[in-house]
Amino acid sequence: MKNIQNFLAQVRSDLGDQWVDQRPETLVRYGEHTLPGQARAPSAVLFPESTAQVVAIVKAANEFGIALYPISTGNNIGLGSRAPARAGQVVVDLGYRMNRIREINEETCYAELEPGVSFQMLRDELRRRGDKLMVSATSGPPHGGIIGNAMDRGAGYGPYFDHFGMTCGMEVVLGNGEVIRTGDGSLDTESLVNWHVSKFSFGPALDGLFAQSNFGIVTRVGVWLMPRPPASRSFHFVFPDDEDLAEIIELCRPMKLSNFVPSLFRIANDLYAMAPDERNPEYLEGSRQSISGTARKALQGKHGLGAWQVSGMFYGASAAAIEPLVARVRGHFERSGKARYIGHDEALDIPALRIAIDSMSGEPSAGELGMLQWRPGSGNSWFLPGTPMVGSQAMELDRLGRAIYEKHGMDYVVMHVASARFARGLHVLVWNKDDAGENARADACYRELTLEFSKRGIGVGRAPADYADLHMEQMMPSLRRACQAIKQALDPNGVISPGKYGIDLPGAK
Amino acid sequence: MKTHFTQTQLAEPQIAEAADILQSCQHFGFCTSGCPTYVLLHDENDGPRGRIDLIKEMLESGGAPSSKTVKHLDRCMSCMSCMGTCAVKVDYMHLIDVGRAHIEKTYRRPLAERLLRSALGFVLPRRNLFKSALSLGRIAARFGRWMPPAVRPLLELLPPPRSSDPADAVGQRNYPAVGVRRWRVALLEGCVQPEIAPHINAATIRMLTRFGCEVVMPEAAGCCGSLNLHMGKQEAARSFARANVAAWLNELDQGGLDAILVNASGCGTTVKDYGHLLKGDPDFEQGAQRVAAIAVDVCEWLMRIGVSAPTTPRRHKVTYHDACSLRNVQKVTQPPRALLLKAGYFVSDVPEAHFCCGSAGTYNMLQPDLARQLGQRKAANLASTHPQIVAAGNIGCITQIGLHSPTPIVHTVELLDWAYGGPAPLALRTVSLEEIAIDKEAHDEAVASSSEQPIHFYPGNTSKDMGVW
Repeated sequence: MKNIQNFLAQVRSDLGDQWVDQRPETLVRYGEHTLPGQARAPSAVLFPESTAQVVAIVKAANEFGIALYPISTGNNIGLGSRAPARAGQVVVDLGYRMNRIREINEETCYAELEPGVSFQMLRDELRRRGDKLMVSATSGPPHGGIIGNAMDRGAGYGPYFDHFGMTCGMEVVLGNGEVIRTGDGSLDTESLVNWHVSKFSFGPALDGLFAQSNFGIVTRVGVWLMPRPPASRSFHFVFPDDEDLAEIIELCRPMKLSNFVPSLFRIANDLYAMAPDERNPEYLEGSRQSISGTARKALQGKHGLGAWQVSGMFYGASAAAIEPLVARVRGHFERSGKARYIGHDEALDIPALRIAIDSMSGEPSAGELGMLQWRPGSGNSWFLPGTPMVGSQAMELDRLGRAIYEKHGMDYVVMHVASARFARGLHVLVWNKDDAGENARADACYRELTLEFSKRGIGVGRAPADYADLHMEQMMPSLRRACQAIKQALDPNGVISPGKYGIDLPGAK
Repeated sequence: MKTHFTQTQLAEPQIAEAADILQSCQHFGFCTSGCPTYVLLHDENDGPRGRIDLIKEMLESGGAPSSKTVKHLDRCMSCMSCMGTCAVKVDYMHLIDVGRAHIEKTYRRPLAERLLRSALGFVLPRRNLFKSALSLGRIAARFGRWMPPAVRPLLELLPPPRSSDPADAVGQRNYPAVGVRRWRVALLEGCVQPEIAPHINAATIRMLTRFGCEVVMPEAAGCCGSLNLHMGKQEAARSFARANVAAWLNELDQGGLDAILVNASGCGTTVKDYGHLLKGDPDFEQGAQRVAAIAVDVCEWLMRIGVSAPTTPRRHKVTYHDACSLRNVQKVTQPPRALLLKAGYFVSDVPEAHFCCGSAGTYNMLQPDLARQLGQRKAANLASTHPQIVAAGNIGCITQIGLHSPTPIVHTVELLDWAYGGPAPLALRTVSLEEIAIDKEAHDEAVASSSEQPIHFYPGNTSKDMGVW
C-alpha cells in the first residue's frame, strides 16, 4: 500500500497532478474487456507526455517496486482491451498525450510516430499533404493505434501488410530505465540519417525483442509508407462450398510465390463476410447452437455471396494497365469451374467486398466492426493460428476448427489471409458475456482450439491477454527460460507488464 | 448491457425505448475515440459510453439525477460522432434526448441557468423576439465588461448587422421557377438564419429557381424545434414540429410538394426525424412521417435534380467543413463536395473531420469553454489546409468557425450560386481572392508549408506519383 502511494507521489511531481488518474470511473473502464474472464482494474492510470516522462515513471516503478502496464491507443478489441495483465498494475497510457506525428518524409516515404497516432490521424495528415502516400489499414477501426498494432504484429492486406516488418528503427525505454534506439538509430549521435531507412544495421537486430513482449516500452517508431498508385483495381471470386477451401489455397499460392498479385488474398467465409451486416437469426430466436447450414445458405443467397469470398488487388499506372493482370487472375481462378468472378466496380456496392477494397487501398474503415453484434452481447475474442499454403492442410484445419466451434455451440466466423507460404486464420468468437453458460462455452472453445491445433503442430500468431499463459505453456521449456532470462536482463525488477505474453522474471508467480 | 426497469417504468413509451437502446450498448468503447469531449477531457463520464451509463442509472432510479450527472450529460453536443464508430449502432441520438427530457422534468437547475435556458428556448425560435433580442444585445455588447458571465458568450456570438443589398434579402413567401417549373419545393426558412444571415436563403432560392424549382415558404412554418429538443424541452419542440407539419401538409395537399428542403443541417436532422418526434401523437404521427419522408438537405436535392455546367466556374481553394449533423447523422458528404467541384472549386477536406466545431445548437452559449477549445481546434485544422474559403452547410458552424478562423466562411449554397450567375457571397465581397490556375494548384500546395513538421521535398518535383508504376 505504502509503496503505491509513494510511487504516485513521485509521478505526480514528475508529470503533474492532473496526469495521474485514480478516479473510480477511470479504473473501472480501463479494467473492462470483452474476454470471458473477469475485469482487471488498474490501480492508477498515468498520462506521460514524452520519453523523458516515461523514463521518470519507469525509474519510480523500479524504486518503489510497482508494476506498470503501458498501452498505446485504440480499443485492442477482442485481445484484452486496455486491461492490465494483472489487476492492480499501473496503466501507462502513452496514447493520450504522446500522439504526435514527428516527421513525414516524402522522399524516402516514411513517418516517425509516437504511440498515440491512430490510422485515422495519419490518414488525415497524408491526405492533407496531397494524398501521395498510403496508410496500411487493418480490419480494426480507424482510431486504432499504428504502433500498438505493429508491436503486437498486427497486419494489413496490401503490399505493406507486415506492419512490424514495415517498422524501421525504434526508440525503447527498457525496464531498467535506460533508453535505446534500434537499428541505425543506435549510433551515439543526435543527428541520425539512416534510422528510418535501413534495416541492415550493425549487430543484433533488437527490434524483434519488443514485439509481443514486455521487455521495453516503445516510445517512437519509424514506419514505411507505400506511395499511392495512380490506380488500384480489385478482383473477387465467390466459391459455393465449404470444401472449396482446399482448391482456393492451391490457386492462391503460386500467385503469391511469384508476387504476381501484390496484395494478400483475403479468403473470408460466409459468416465473416456477412456478419458485419447481419445478426444470427437463429440465435435471436433462442438457439444456442451453431448456426445451421440452411440458415447460412439463406444468408449467402440474400447477399449474393458464397461459402468463401476471395479478394485481392492490383496497383498500377491506370485501370487499363491493370486490366490484363486481372484477366490473367480471372483465367487462373476460373479454371476451377467453381469460381464466380466479381469485378471491382460491382464490388464497390457489395458491403463485404467494399471492406476488402478499402482495407487494401489504405482506407481505415469501421466496416467490419458490425460482426461484433452477430450474436448481441459484449463477448469477443480472436483465435489466430495459421496454415501452410497447402490446400489439404488448410482443409484439415478448417474441418477441425469448424467441429470444435460446433461442439461448443459457437459460430464459425473465419477469414484466412494468404501470402505465399502461410495464411493467417482470423477466427472470430462472439457471444453474450452476460450469459454465464455461453461465456463458459466461449472460453472452453478457445482453449480446445488452442490445444487441438497445438497437438497438430500449429501455434497462434497473436493472442488475447487472458490466454497468454495458456499459450506460453505450449512453448518449449528452453524457450520459456530464454524469455525469462531476457526479462531479467532488460527489466531486472520486473516493472513492465509482468505476466504479459506469459513472460515473468525467473521464479516469479 | 443488462437493464433493471420495473414494469411500471417500461409502460412509459420513452422509457421502453430507452431500455431497448440501453440494452444494445455493449461497452466496447469505440465511441469514445471519436467523441470530442472525451478526447479533450479524458473523463470516462464525458464520452458516450459513460453518458450511456449515467442515463441508465438516472432512468432506472426514476428520480432527479445528481448535479454531476447533469454536468456530464450537458456536455454532450449531440454531434453523433459516436454513432459513426459504434460497432453495434446504438441509437445514442434518441437516448440522449430521453435523458435530457428526464433532467428537464426532474432536476432543478440553479436559477440563472434556468432563466438563460428558458430565454434561449423561448426567444431564439420566435423571429420578432429574436430580432428585438439582437438589438438589445448590440447595445449590451458595448457594456460587455459589466454583463453577467453567463451572458458574455452570447454577446460574442452577435453577428454583424445584416446586409442592406436587396440581393441578400428574402421578401416573398413564394418564388416561381425561372423558366419551366419542374418541381415544387418548400424551404425551411429557419428561425435564427433569416435574421442573422438572410443572404443564405436568398442564395438558396436563386439556385433552386434557376434549376426549375418553385420555392414556397409558408408563413406558418417556423423554427424546426431543435433548440428546445436539445435542451430537453420536448413539449415545446413538439409544438414547433406540429406547426411545421401542419403548414407543409397544407402545401403538400394543396399545390403538391416534391421535397421539403433544409439548408441548415442542424434543422435538417430534426425535420428528417419528425416521424420519431411526433410518434404516438394521434393527430400528427402520420403527417409527420409524410413530411419527414420528403425532407432533404439542399445539396442532396441539387444532386438529385442535377445541375448544368456553371456559367462562371470559380477557381478558388475551398476547404469543406462537414457540419457534424450533416456528416454524422444525415450522412450527406458527397453531394456538397461534388457540387462544389462541378462549380469549379478546388475542394479539400479537413483533418479531424469528425470533430464538431463547437457550435452544436446552443452549445457555444451554454458550454463556452469547451466550445472555444473545439472552435480553436477546428480553426487550426482548417488553417492546415491553406484554404482561401471555408464552406459549410450549417449556420451554426458558419457563426462559430467565423469566431475562431481568419479565413472567410460561407454556406456551400452561396458558393454554388456565385458560380451559376449569382452575386459574390457576402463574406467574400470585401476580400480579394486570387483565382488558382489549374496547373498552379499542385505547385502551390508543394511549396506552401508553415507546418512544424519537417518535410523534405524538392521544389521542382510537383508530380503526384512517388513511384514509377
